[in-house]
Amino acid sequence: MALSKDELKAAIIEKATKAPKPQLYIKDLYECDPASSPRVIKNVANELVKEQKLMFWSSGSTTMYALPSRIKNEETRDKAESDK
Amino acid sequence: MPKHDTPLLDELEKGPWPSFVTDLKRQAATKPECWDILGQVELSYKDRITHWKHGGIVGVFGYGGGIVGRYSDVPKQFPGVAHFHTVRVNQPSGLYYSTAKLRAICDLWQKYGSGMTNMHGSTGDMVLLGTTTPNLEPLFYDLTHDLNQDLGGSGSNLRTPACCLGKSRCEWSCYDTQALCHFLTNKYQDELHRPAFPYKFKFKMSGCPNDCVAAIARSDFAVIGSWKDDIRIDQAAVKGYIKGEFPSNGGAHAGRDWGKFDIQKEVLDLCPTNCMWMEGDTLKIDNKECTRCMHCINVMPRALRPGLEQGATICVGAKAPILEGAQFATMIIPFVKVDADSEYEAVTENIEKIWDWWMEVGKNRERVGETIQRVGLPTFLKVMEVEPLPQHVREPRSNPYIFWQEEEVEGGWERDIREFRKRHAQ
Repeated sequence: MALSKDELKAAIIEKATKAPKPQLYIKDLYECDPASSPRVIKNVANELVKEQKLMFWSSGSTTMYALPSRIKNEETRDKAESDK
Repeated sequence: MPKHDTPLLDELEKGPWPSFVTDLKRQAATKPECWDILGQVELSYKDRITHWKHGGIVGVFGYGGGIVGRYSDVPKQFPGVAHFHTVRVNQPSGLYYSTAKLRAICDLWQKYGSGMTNMHGSTGDMVLLGTTTPNLEPLFYDLTHDLNQDLGGSGSNLRTPACCLGKSRCEWSCYDTQALCHFLTNKYQDELHRPAFPYKFKFKMSGCPNDCVAAIARSDFAVIGSWKDDIRIDQAAVKGYIKGEFPSNGGAHAGRDWGKFDIQKEVLDLCPTNCMWMEGDTLKIDNKECTRCMHCINVMPRALRPGLEQGATICVGAKAPILEGAQFATMIIPFVKVDADSEYEAVTENIEKIWDWWMEVGKNRERVGETIQRVGLPTFLKVMEVEPLPQHVREPRSNPYIFWQEEEVEGGWERDIREFRKRHAQ
């Protein structure tokens, strides 16, 4: 049986927290609940972005998801490098 | 006063053609960061490597696409372009603008960005090049509220749908491309603005097989106008072309003397399926063999026109050469009605069938054409609930393209083949 929306949100956050890679493709999030359809998982992941619990990282051609604390942020990285 | 020496770029100003270098120098008068673009591009030419890093977290609230983060990897040398994000703006169908709208977009970009644009990006968007993160939300507010324009697609989203001029200017258009493009843009707003897929997905719509937006080469889902019945022939006009009363190709290529029009050499012999011939002075076409190449219609537009039973062919899976080389789309559905009254059901049901399957089966960063290549066309045809046709196969006369399923074979795979051959094979 598919997870409820809140359970799915919790599973996605757990995956984003514990995954060795800090940034995840949408397909990586499908593993959070194989019983939920890709469209459901996509909608829940986008809702988490709206709630600012996840963030998008985009190369321009592909988009990935990550926790704000784990995302690769060029601007803060540039600032940290210039502060050194 | 130039901020950087650019001897390599200066070479690009010497020809008779317009030069982006000259444009950038002019733009630098009001936007000094343009000197840093020139400086960084000069360095790239010298180093033979790009100094742009692209990718990042920038965007506007609620959208997962439309902005592409872009950063310099030499920001201390070129601080004006340290952050230089790209904004993709959804273009109007058929690229029709009023000059007032173009001026308003340029003014907006002069206010919030570098003033530099790319009209149009290869997906079709108006591409506004170069702004900083704090400018993104105010720009988006003005763009949507004052100019009534939206952002386009980027990342793993549906990309901005694009179409040809269609029926607005072209008598060959077999459906209203602009209406379909507008409809799909509105229907799939969520897919356009929020990432949904393993990778990018592009729709392109051409009104006829001339395919002026190159849908067959550039889109994952190409809707190319076609017709089901016979090419319409005006035999009097055919005779007119033969006598030289009308210029062939609508007068194109007239800059040189090609000699007298020769219907045999210029039309009949160039038909890829040899389905045309003359009987006396009457042109005959074996329409069931016509492959809709448009050559004869292009050469003699006054004499030949697409048939009246019009719709579109759906081709799937084109892509540019990132992984395994460029790939043309494969014809999947020979003919669908493109019908506004049914809300384009024949088109949308096929789009959604592909998406549901590809979202499940496609690998990360795999275009749908690559997924089809990986699993094979027969599997994809089953997904699409389409019976295999000779037109799905490059060489249908030599390629055994029909694959029987076990349930379709008497006795299944387990039958005693020796016993069977005793009775049936010599």
